[in-house]
Amino acid sequence: MRAKLIYSHGVVEKPILASVVLRTGVPINILEARVNAQKGELIVSIPATGEKLREVLNLFREAGVQVQEFAETLRIDWGKCMACGACISPCPTKALRFREDWSLEFDEERCVACKICVTACPVKAITMP
Amino acid sequence: MTEKIEELRTIDEINEKIKRGDAVVLTAEEMIKLVESSGLEVAAKEVDIVTTGTFGAMCSSGVFLNFGHSDPPIKMARCWLNDVPVYKGLAAVDGYLGATAMSETRGFEYGGGHVIEDLVSGKEVVLRAESYGTDCYPRRHIETTITLEDLNQAILVNPRNCYQRYDAATNSSDRVLYTYMGTLLPNYGNITFSGAGQLNPLCKDPNYETIGLGTRIFLGGGIGYIIGEGTQHSPGAGFGTLMVKGDLKQMNSRYLRGATFHRYGTTLYVGIGIPIPIINMRVAKTAATRDEEITVNIRDYAVPTRPDLRPVVKKTTYAELRSGKVSLNDRDVPSSSLSSYKMAREIAETLKKWILEGTFFLTKPIEPLPRQREVKPLRVRGREIRVGDVMSRNVVTARPSEDIKTVASKLVEKGIDHLPVVDDEGRLIGIVTSWDLAKAIAHDKRRLEEIMTRRVITAFENESIDVVVHRMAQYNISGVPVVDRLNHVIGILTTDDISRKVVGGGRAV
Ligand code: SF4
Ligand code: SF4
Repeated sequence: MRAKLIYSHGVVEKPILASVVLRTGVPINILEARVNAQKGELIVSIPATGEKLREVLNLFREAGVQVQEFAETLRIDWGKCMACGACISPCPTKALRFREDWSLEFDEERCVACKICVTACPVKAITMP
Repeated sequence: MTEKIEELRTIDEINEKIKRGDAVVLTAEEMIKLVESSGLEVAAKEVDIVTTGTFGAMCSSGVFLNFGHSDPPIKMARCWLNDVPVYKGLAAVDGYLGATAMSETRGFEYGGGHVIEDLVSGKEVVLRAESYGTDCYPRRHIETTITLEDLNQAILVNPRNCYQRYDAATNSSDRVLYTYMGTLLPNYGNITFSGAGQLNPLCKDPNYETIGLGTRIFLGGGIGYIIGEGTQHSPGAGFGTLMVKGDLKQMNSRYLRGATFHRYGTTLYVGIGIPIPIINMRVAKTAATRDEEITVNIRDYAVPTRPDLRPVVKKTTYAELRSGKVSLNDRDVPSSSLSSYKMAREIAETLKKWILEGTFFLTKPIEPLPRQREVKPLRVRGREIRVGDVMSRNVVTARPSEDIKTVASKLVEKGIDHLPVVDDEGRLIGIVTSWDLAKAIAHDKRRLEEIMTRRVITAFENESIDVVVHRMAQYNISGVPVVDRLNHVIGILTTDDISRKVVGGGRAV
């Protein structure tokens, strides 16, 4: 799951993310960071589901971090996709691959939202909301 | 060819069978399986036609258009469709729209390929044209919308389609490259390739015994014809190409897709399928060629030279490329196609269906494709400007141990921005800019070695100016030290030198 973590002034200097990782054992991955002395915004990928995911999100909220969940990572317009494969080898996490019948398969769990596939697609079939 | 080849059937006989509804048609994949299971003899006896397919980016594509005359009429001197320029060096209302022409308002995002797709899918397209007015054609300006149906003719004529095979691409540099071979990650991060391999028409008849001028084909979802060899046809090397034409009005936007290669340009994905009549044993054999047998060079696109001079990093096959990883320098490198194997399969299936339904008959080529052709590079006559012509040879350098403040005042005094740092033998080990120095002084740093950039982008004296200018833009820098083969600094080239000494057309003044 991907989420945006918004740190307000006052909590921005605290090592909240590290302590959540330590307490839950979930290896949270930072995809994008914009931090200054006043406030900070992190886009993270949280490789957890169900109960564990709720625990992670609650720990952030309790620490005073505002959490915005992203419903989806990227969107593939299957009507546009021509199964060319131009997005597959540039994907750093192998989240995109061919199925047995040579159609495209997307593994949401592996996606780190780097967006390289968005520009690699020649027909703009991939968008990131 | 002196060996005696066993004839199996003629094209006329095959057409008779199609008419009767008992022609045996297999796709190229099915033919491969049949030969594997029952042997070549059996397959050759049984199968009349093998269908092929390919669906990939084919930049040398476009459409001849006739708009019809307006009243009052215009001799269109310049013309645009959805702001994409149409070639107007033809009669008053004829034009040619090429797939790679780019929109004057939307650039990379939309081009000739997209206009073709929009027309085929029935969309309205804005036609705009200008003229100077003549006695017979007084109108000077026109702006209206058109659809494919409104046009008198829209004939797809593609000067080069259907490459027999195509070199694969990788990238040895330390940055992402955006090329016509797609996105290439740094440090051999991936490999891209194009071509349908064992489904490709020309790979199934590499001696061009059944393919030539007049061959009827599947083109963009409609019927088309081969009208000769394609440009850059290079049969000797196994890189044959085709020139094809067909009526755009019969085509289907599923098989003609406008596309953009990021930071490269626009193009058109074209679907082509060709029936291979199994006229003799040799064609039967080649029609069963597998991906494992079709070799492909992987070339390094980081080297900015002529395509055929880009270093080959590995010889591989379509089978290895299609497996999703290629072993390169003892490492598994992800590989993926740019052309669609799924669509190529669908095209071979569709063509098979047409033949079985008795709606598609084979033609005998009037003339085979040439089996010999030399592809020559373009020789540039006259002397072109090189780095050595423009660089400053009077280059100020410094040693790593020098004091920052002294160096800074030296730069100010000489009015320079880039300072190569060299060792005792004059070999380049780093660089600092005046901006680095200003920052260093603010942070109270002392010695150059604390602040210099160690990975220096350089140029050689005999390199082309355009190549180095592009390199400077890629790395967003305004100067490069010029070094010899032993890395001694022999000059420096800055954007200032270039704008001062080089004018358009690459001539030094
Ligand atoms: S966004 Fe990045 S990680 Fe996700 S699918 Fe695209 S290339 Fe792969
Ligand atoms: S690059 Fe685009 S069209 Fe090609 S397989 Fe990926 S999503 Fe589909």
